[in-house]
Amino acid sequence: MTIDQERRRTLKCLAALAGIGLGAAHADCNPRRLGRASGGSTVACARREKIVPSASGMVDSALLASMLGSAVARSVGTASPEEAFRKLFRPTDVVGIKVNTLAGRGLSSRPEVVAQLVTWLGKARIPAERIVIWDRSDRELSAAGFHLNRASSGVRCFGTNDDYEWTPREWGAGASCFAGVLVRELTALINVGVLKDHDLAGISAGMKNLYGVIHNPNKYHDNGCSPYVAHLAAHPLIRDKLRLTVIDGLVAQCHGGPARSPRWSWDFGGVLVSRDPVAVDAVAYKIIEDRRRQQGLRSLVQEGREPKWIAEAAGLGLGESRLGRIEMVKA
Amino acid sequence: MTLDNPQRRVFCAAAGAGAVAVLGSRLSLADDPAQGQMLPTGPGAGLSLVPARWYKAKDAKRIECGLCPRACRVADRERGTCGVRENRDGKYYTLVHSRPCVVHLDPIEKKPFFHVLPGQSALSLAAPGCNLECKFCQNWEIAQVRPEQVPTTDASPGAIVELARHHDAPTIACTYSEPVVWSEYVYDIAAAAKPMGIRTLLVSNGFIQTKPMTELLHVLGAVKIDLKAFTEDFYRNQCRGQLQPVLDTLRLLAKKRTWTEIVVLVIPSLNDSEREIRRLARFVHDEMGPEVPLHLTRFHPSYRLTNVPSTPVKTLDLARHVAMDEGLHFVYVGNVLGHPGNHTYCPGCNLMVIRRLGISVVQSRLDRGRCPSCHRAIPGIWS
Repeated sequence: MTIDQERRRTLKCLAALAGIGLGAAHADCNPRRLGRASGGSTVACARREKIVPSASGMVDSALLASMLGSAVARSVGTASPEEAFRKLFRPTDVVGIKVNTLAGRGLSSRPEVVAQLVTWLGKARIPAERIVIWDRSDRELSAAGFHLNRASSGVRCFGTNDDYEWTPREWGAGASCFAGVLVRELTALINVGVLKDHDLAGISAGMKNLYGVIHNPNKYHDNGCSPYVAHLAAHPLIRDKLRLTVIDGLVAQCHGGPARSPRWSWDFGGVLVSRDPVAVDAVAYKIIEDRRRQQGLRSLVQEGREPKWIAEAAGLGLGESRLGRIEMVKA
Repeated sequence: MTLDNPQRRVFCAAAGAGAVAVLGSRLSLADDPAQGQMLPTGPGAGLSLVPARWYKAKDAKRIECGLCPRACRVADRERGTCGVRENRDGKYYTLVHSRPCVVHLDPIEKKPFFHVLPGQSALSLAAPGCNLECKFCQNWEIAQVRPEQVPTTDASPGAIVELARHHDAPTIACTYSEPVVWSEYVYDIAAAAKPMGIRTLLVSNGFIQTKPMTELLHVLGAVKIDLKAFTEDFYRNQCRGQLQPVLDTLRLLAKKRTWTEIVVLVIPSLNDSEREIRRLARFVHDEMGPEVPLHLTRFHPSYRLTNVPSTPVKTLDLARHVAMDEGLHFVYVGNVLGHPGNHTYCPGCNLMVIRRLGISVVQSRLDRGRCPSCHRAIPGIWS
């Protein structure tokens, strides 16, 4: 690419950003106001002791709808999850639900959680055809219990596989080709991560899950993924589309991640929901540290795995990382 | 990676169509019915799962990779920085053994090797992946990706050797991407080729630990190292790597008396100062010897480094002058067609002994590896 081409591309990006800003002003979807729309960063945590009976591993769907709905509503400041979704999404949106399926069934974003989100998107008048559930690969999605659907009807569900854009984009400290569906189609994102430990990043909850939208995540795991996680989350393709983060903690894991390790997983029985992607990770970090302490494990700081990228993301204006300034609500 | 670029856009189109590209050569392997069963492929054709040779098992199913100086600590289900080696349940695997994404018949000068069998062809292949992330990578479409993202084909080491024999290629070059990250495949190809009289050439960044490199040298025929620059700053900021391990590799190659050629991609304002070129040349002279060929090649904007202009030819002229002034006998200029620095001159009498046009040999006057005029031995592999 020549310098002139690069300049043209930059101008296009600026124009596109201006367009997004104007469009968003009509709804409460402006990413610049996410999480702090009402003056604070709110993280809603809903826990139900019996949500995942260990013996069966099955989720009580009615209970899930109730607790997740309550968390969504509390995090957005509405009376119901339906109202929250109408506030977050426009009927014209194409909504991507980015799940985390690296660890297979048992420690991935649960299909039941995602199905409930899809239900509310429908109630926000978003047609099924404009909802995409996706992750890195078909193989991982299937292994985590998702049913693939590349048809033109119904909610689509597929892995990026090799469908990345052809030209890399700079994003702060890194450069990557982004998933084609994110670049071409999606106008809004729900990030559904998993409450778990990560051997290099410290934790894998919300923002770390966004590594799954680039073609070369393997390049950015050194130095505890710092500052890469923060820089990636700040890219306009993500920052301007991310409307909600949901952390699936029905079963969580405090050590041995990102793969599943039954020894270190526990029934947290809860979900975290926030419009602030930084605040929700800060809370997830505290939950994992608390559990590690209970289990007699060294802290992530002591292990040299402190997720420094959470504070770095706050420094980039993506949200609030200080627990004292995060409004934690029980749902 | 410099000259060794298989016409990138054309290559990508071919790769995207699911073919293994054979470009710029007099033969079309893809059209060869004898090889047809092995060449066609497509995206998602699969990953191999061959146990890695260089790693240590650690606690809690972690491993520590022992291949490159990064020594990646890799948890279960994760990959190293290269993206082509994966931990599965505490065991480390290479995902690209016998899964090349490019097989190509090139002039050996394209690697570039100027002192190895001039005018002969090299069956050149690559599997995906790299352990550096150079901002100026010229083959990033295969080097900076995970193996799922490019079409690959099944090609066992034996099949690669057979393909080389079929096309009368006296060498097999592991090139284009970074062969270090598929060292198991390189080793097995070289071990299969050696008894057949076929030399295996490694075209690498040299960012590898000593132990695997030493083992590879038992079976390799010659090595070309891309020395990216001569400062740690450059390696850190432009490549996300380190210089020192590369220098260690170069010393090892000299100690093992492996035929080695060195390429430096000269990039304006980043590694083109007279001082840096002089220090680099002095290192080669003092640590490896004056007879090691040094190729100074011209940069063109690529990948992430698009805001730097192409290298002026006069910069290359100056760099060549400086390197020769430091005592190196064979200093070439690459990526500049028709430049006097394309040719090989006898250090004894200055006779042009090999005349080239770009990467084509126009005339060789060598007489059994000697200058026909003064009979000085010209170092290299000539038969």
